[in-house]
Amino acid sequence: MKVGFLHSLIRKDEKLLLDEFRKRDGVELEMLDDRKLIFDLQRRPDVDVVLERCINHSRAMHGLRLMESVGIPCINTSEVARICGDKILTSLALKEADVAQPELRIAFTEQSALDAIEELGYPVVLKPAVGSWGRLLSKVNDREAAESILEHKAILGSYHHSIFYVQKYVEKQSRDIRSFVVGDECIAAIYRTSEHWITNTALGGVATGCPVYDELADISLRAAKAVGGGVVAIDVFETADGLLVNEVNYTMEFKNSIHTTGVNIPAKIVDYVLGRSA
Amino acid sequence: MAECPVCSGDVELEEDTVVGELLSCPDCGSELEVLEVDPAALGEAPETEEDWGE
Repeated sequence: MKVGFLHSLIRKDEKLLLDEFRKRDGVELEMLDDRKLIFDLQRRPDVDVVLERCINHSRAMHGLRLMESVGIPCINTSEVARICGDKILTSLALKEADVAQPELRIAFTEQSALDAIEELGYPVVLKPAVGSWGRLLSKVNDREAAESILEHKAILGSYHHSIFYVQKYVEKQSRDIRSFVVGDECIAAIYRTSEHWITNTALGGVATGCPVYDELADISLRAAKAVGGGVVAIDVFETADGLLVNEVNYTMEFKNSIHTTGVNIPAKIVDYVLGRSA
Repeated sequence: MAECPVCSGDVELEEDTVVGELLSCPDCGSELEVLEVDPAALGEAPETEEDWGE
């Protein structure tokens, strides 16, 4: 079987996946560097399945769609990438599947965004619709800060920073949960703990083991299904009213979670990929 | 062995190093990308772009 590995930079996560593929009998890897690929809408790369591990969201989404158009099964699908890469589309998918999420508003102008923030009540979190690793998130505690941040985003940002995604701030006791879903199974979870209100491990959040209890597995699997399924990581808030899904990530990073959880996450992903080939 | 493009220090490549892999220079700490493995060549890793992430 020939596996296309769609990538750009090879980080520790990609290296772990490559190592795992190389352990498997009868698997040949074809490295597909998104910086070198040329598509003509006709040619089909000689692979049976593609695993996407790009760093750029836009390259991943379009690369996957182009691969699918010539009949190659892809993990994840371009539709999963499209939904998970955009927080507005993710929130819509979660809402349509009745998956609980923090209260939010979306607005397209500075004034309507300010009105939306006041309607939600402080504090709120302003997020770019497209973005990751906790970058460019703003916790807005009062009207003065809101006015200032909205003006900066409108003037200094590119046009999509004027699509305002406003989320009610959730008090999360210095931690949230990252769960990992592969196919129909929630394979593992970690707590991400930080003194900072952003708990992302890319920004220094510390990972510790979290049991995959029934409520967590249930909301994780429903969130994964809502965005189209596959291999995804779910960010979950714990609240007095139950679990809320914050985000769903489709090119999930797991290098800090293998030792913490005791689960061979890359092996689970490779098993899933090999089971999805044409 | 390859030369760091930032400080000219020596950077050792593991046997299983692949093109595109990220490394840190042990001397100057710069983040580097493996451009070639045989012969080994390194470049500075690209800066984070706006749509990078998970």
